[in-house]
Amino acid sequence: MNQNTDLLTLRGVSKSYGMVSVLHDVDLSIQDGEFLTVLGPSGSGKTTVLRLIGGLEPLTAGEIRLDGQDISRMPINRRPFNTVFQDYALFPHMTVSGNVGYGLSVRHVQRKEVARRVAEALELVQLGRFADRFPAQLSGGQRQRVALARALICQPRLILLDEPLAALDLELRRQMQEFLKSIQREIKTTFLFVTHDQEEAIGMADRICVMQAGHICQLGTPHELYYKPNCEFVARFFGENNLVAGKLGAVEGEQRPIETALGRLICSVSDQPLLKAAPDGASAFAVFRPEALRVAGSTESDNHFSGTIADLAFAGSSTVATITVGTDNAAQRLRLRVPSRIDGSALKCGETVSLSFAPHEGHLVLA
Amino acid sequence: MIALPRPSTLFLAAVTALVAVLLYSPLFVPIVSSFFTISHGDVDWSSPTLSSYQALAGNNDILAALRTTLIVGLCTVVLSVVSGTLLALYYHGGRSGRSILQFIIFLPFLMPPIISGLALLIFFREIGLERSLLTVVIGHTVFVLAIVYRTVLMRLQSMSRTLVEASYDLGATAWQTFWRVILPNLSSAMVGGAILAFALSFDETMITILVTGTQSTLPVRLWAMMRLGFSPDINALVALILMFTVLLCVLAARFLVPQQMAMERS
Repeated sequence: MNQNTDLLTLRGVSKSYGMVSVLHDVDLSIQDGEFLTVLGPSGSGKTTVLRLIGGLEPLTAGEIRLDGQDISRMPINRRPFNTVFQDYALFPHMTVSGNVGYGLSVRHVQRKEVARRVAEALELVQLGRFADRFPAQLSGGQRQRVALARALICQPRLILLDEPLAALDLELRRQMQEFLKSIQREIKTTFLFVTHDQEEAIGMADRICVMQAGHICQLGTPHELYYKPNCEFVARFFGENNLVAGKLGAVEGEQRPIETALGRLICSVSDQPLLKAAPDGASAFAVFRPEALRVAGSTESDNHFSGTIADLAFAGSSTVATITVGTDNAAQRLRLRVPSRIDGSALKCGETVSLSFAPHEGHLVLA
Repeated sequence: MIALPRPSTLFLAAVTALVAVLLYSPLFVPIVSSFFTISHGDVDWSSPTLSSYQALAGNNDILAALRTTLIVGLCTVVLSVVSGTLLALYYHGGRSGRSILQFIIFLPFLMPPIISGLALLIFFREIGLERSLLTVVIGHTVFVLAIVYRTVLMRLQSMSRTLVEASYDLGATAWQTFWRVILPNLSSAMVGGAILAFALSFDETMITILVTGTQSTLPVRLWAMMRLGFSPDINALVALILMFTVLLCVLAARFLVPQQMAMERS
């Protein structure tokens, strides 16, 4: 995969409908050949980003460049992008092959050539047998694949997918995720995938762009987002997490302490210039994953505190404990995830346990 | 379905049957009697015959009126389907003045026909347009336009906006999108609207009487005949029109069911 060249760049892109601003000054680069997922809750502006790139809506401000050329004003039907719509938008009066071949036939490609490429595209999405059916005669997953074949056939530079799996049930959604990923590897086309489902995002994306309230919060690999969220929103939105509020202490090399209700916690600030530079006493959160918490016998290590197990939930390979830490009016709930085979059976509800996490597994975000 | 106790089901069935017989049996009397001779104003049940149909076939006045009705109906259908579809597209596009436009389209359909007819009559006299079949066609179109417009608009509104977006997205021009995506999705609504428009035009009487020239349409002809007394061929005519109307209704219902549902059923 060639990840060095930017296919598409958004610079200072804003969008408002009348007085309502839905995107503010968004900068985003999409690399050639990557699977980029735009993740955010509803109303975060993620679908708007997709519609602006696709040309379905005009920009209010900013510019969109394709290979360095400004395409902000290029009409939708000239852009070398194709969209898979959330409701699939299959033409109900055309057969599957009519739908798939539409993009070619409106460009006056010869009939024989259209038929050949439609057959090819249907083969790719494993729908060869369904060429003469109408969309109404297909299942949700099949319609989804027709929509994908229709978008692929014009060999677009970028395929835009607007929550295409939202209408499918869980099992089918998992299958389609794998399927989409494998197709993307096979045709090596850039995919821009919009979703509100973080699990879906983690499973499929090369990079994830997290959006909230019309801003991009963080753009990075699933790994970066999971282990180094750069703001409270990403830390809370992306997977299960523990956040403990406090005031920053003085930087100590690659670590920085934070004074919290649980005591003084030491967290890593390596590669985080913003958190190194923050003034002493600034409000922040200590962030640590449930699986980073250790049930520790010793009290010598850093980041040590004790709590009471309020609830235990067996979740197959792991067991999740809800732990209450601190006194009644400053009580804080934390989550602990331990492997069921090793530690799960040793925990009991109502028991008081000592807990700790290693400084390099702790992380800070500004409040 | 709501399950009811058996006695009340029987009661409901009885009421339904009674209503059906009382309200709808008069419709069938002319059909039945059209197949028997009529002497001294009474139906002679002992002599089945097709003579009233023969009399109808020989009645040139009626046949001419029927032809006029068909010509007017077809012209009205063409005019109202084309303009009704264009107006619905204009309204759906969300352009200016659309609520006033819609009000004006519905007005002649909701007003008493005699008012619409008089207004048209005065208008035609003011602009010096002779009363003729042309004025009848204009009058009918003004009247039935609302039906075609409404039918097409409802289909447009139920059409997903993303269909049009998908068409552009796949590289189609506005013209290609109209002919290949929008129009095919409207076609069954247009046919359904056309059938309703034809049925309305077929029996429109009040406006026609006011704006027609020397030629009468069928309802106007019938109305004139009735003042002179009944003849048996009227029974035959009523029977034929009734059957024709039933046929039209069945067709209209077929076309007005959304395509999607029809396809799912097949």
